[in-house]
Amino acid sequence: MKKKIFPYLLLTPMILIMGVLVFYPIVATFSYSLKKWKLTAPGDIRFIGLKNYLQILGSDDFWYSMQNTLFILVFVVACTTLLGFFIGTFLNIRVRFSGILLALAVLPWALPPFVNGILWRFVFYSGYGFLNKLLTGIGLTEEPVEFLASRWSLLLVVSIVVVWRSVPFMALVCMAGRQSIPTGFYEAARIDGGSRWQIFRRITLPLMLPFLGVGVTSTSVTAINVFDEIVALSGYSDLAKNILMDSYLTTFTFLNFGEGAAMTYIVLFFALILGIFYLRSLAKEVSYE
Amino acid sequence: MKKRLLSSLLVSALSISLLAGCGSAGSDDAAEGGESTEESGNKITFMAPDWAIPTEEQLAAFTEETGIEVECSEVGWDDIREKIATAAAANQCAADVVEVDWSWVGEFYAADWLEPLEVSDEDKADMPTIETFTVDDKVLAMPYANDYRLSYYNTEQFAAAGITEEPQTWDDVLEACRALKESGTVEHPFAIALNAEEKTSTCLMWLAYTMNGVVWNEDGTFNEESVMEALQYMETLINEELVAPEDKTSSGMDAYMRICGGTASFLTGPTSFVSRIQDEELCSVVGQITPILTPGKDGKAQQTMPLPEAIGVSSMSENKEAAKQFVEWYTSADMQKQLNDTNSAIPTRNSVLEELINEGTIKNSGAMLEEAKLVASPFPNGIPSYYAEMSSAMYNAINKMALGELNAQEAYAEMSGALEELISEE
Repeated sequence: MKKKIFPYLLLTPMILIMGVLVFYPIVATFSYSLKKWKLTAPGDIRFIGLKNYLQILGSDDFWYSMQNTLFILVFVVACTTLLGFFIGTFLNIRVRFSGILLALAVLPWALPPFVNGILWRFVFYSGYGFLNKLLTGIGLTEEPVEFLASRWSLLLVVSIVVVWRSVPFMALVCMAGRQSIPTGFYEAARIDGGSRWQIFRRITLPLMLPFLGVGVTSTSVTAINVFDEIVALSGYSDLAKNILMDSYLTTFTFLNFGEGAAMTYIVLFFALILGIFYLRSLAKEVSYE
Repeated sequence: MKKRLLSSLLVSALSISLLAGCGSAGSDDAAEGGESTEESGNKITFMAPDWAIPTEEQLAAFTEETGIEVECSEVGWDDIREKIATAAAANQCAADVVEVDWSWVGEFYAADWLEPLEVSDEDKADMPTIETFTVDDKVLAMPYANDYRLSYYNTEQFAAAGITEEPQTWDDVLEACRALKESGTVEHPFAIALNAEEKTSTCLMWLAYTMNGVVWNEDGTFNEESVMEALQYMETLINEELVAPEDKTSSGMDAYMRICGGTASFLTGPTSFVSRIQDEELCSVVGQITPILTPGKDGKAQQTMPLPEAIGVSSMSENKEAAKQFVEWYTSADMQKQLNDTNSAIPTRNSVLEELINEGTIKNSGAMLEEAKLVASPFPNGIPSYYAEMSSAMYNAINKMALGELNAQEAYAEMSGALEELISEE
């Protein structure tokens, strides 16, 4: 009996922490999302069922933000995966300064997202931006290019900035995955006359898939949750707002806690789908036999 | 066995400490030896941005005078509203005395977050900006930092373009800007906020207000004639490239600061520029810029828009009387003089402002004092509770117009439609 209770006793602190800090807010937020609750109308808080969700899903604003979210998601995941895989493979090569190169490669990941956004703002700024100085300096353009002045170019810039921040994690995951493949596999493949492409397609890629799954899922969650970079680059403009920003504005700027909570749940729903994918890729067993 | 006992003890200690952490502040106070109500009433908290925090000496003088201890919480201006809202959602008091920006008044009043204050008629007459913080005849906060729209122009650049007269009307400004551009004196002479942010909304407000003396109708909708005229004026500035392309995407303050960098010749902006244009670290054209009365339609504008900051007492405060005493002290004439010296705050009391200008403490003030007497709120029924949503619709529509996605008529239709929807939801 004692043996049965003891493990649960050990788990108690973590269960309490998770309960108070994770599960309770999730349940409470759901209950808020079913209410008409605007802080500027304290006398009119009432249960309205799914009305907040229906209102959000029926608004053009939401679908505009969703398009922006999907643009950032697709661009960031595709570029981060390709670049991360390439850099991860490159970092796997042992040279004299491997450690320093690895530290340098990880640096963008360590930067706070808002700082990252500010740094890139100086690059893309239309007035005194570094890129415009470069382009006009080498004679490619006469007038500064307004990178942040149209929806798609702004989204592209935001995506590039997020890719820059996300690539190091993907590269580390890929490097770890690559290092976990026993060298014996490659030796055997070479003895059997396998070409570089065949070795990559038949050994490296399949055995790295679970690692790529982890990286892709984590990058997807990052791409959905982009906030700081957008604010740093374009403020709270409608131009590049994604669903997370919409949720923030509704909740904290317009003080509409009911609708904001519903929007948060929609973001949570998307993140959940990706989270399931993440857990499934973690659960996959890798066999080298 | 020992290991197991130790693990059990650690687990129990962690669980108990976690539960203790979840306890309410009230029980903590009680546990600390039963601090009396009288004693806790002598301590208040004050949440404000860095520029509003009094010095240690000033606070010590207040404590000595009243016996009330003040604990200051320095919070970024942007975060204050969020903290107050989050605390209020949990029925908590973020601080006894809080910063209140002019644009928050409507929603704070609707949410019942502020305790009405008693202000004498004498003080009301001395502080015209108090009108901004008055709703239904209740004064909700006391202004401490004065800001209203004042115009500035670079006399040397105007002279270089052959203009020797100070602009009187908005048409004069437009003609002057055209002359400045055509003569090659300044490429983009008009500095105005066009980015999607709050300052852009206020630019439209003060432009319409100084042009026609009206922005909103009595029912809260836009006065179409006035707002359209202001939007068309902005559109002309954009189409004729009299504003810099980067003003469309850079912050409003960056756009304003172009006058200090010499890349703009005319600005209608914050009163803080009276000191900025004299600061050699901030301004490369010191001595060339003069503060003037804001232009109007047929002559100088008869009114200007106030954008002051105030402090108010939280309705959830348990120490309201002490908090009110602090507000009274903080906004007194003597403290306004001190805060001008220590925090560079521009007094909200016209008597103090006049004294500081006359004794030369505020230099090169130009029309600052004269303009202060023209301060009047453009909101006929006070600032509405949906101000944040209305402002968001306004700055996004103006920004789209600046980026060429909408024309003035379409921008008006977009913001006006959003406003009507907000009014109908009220």
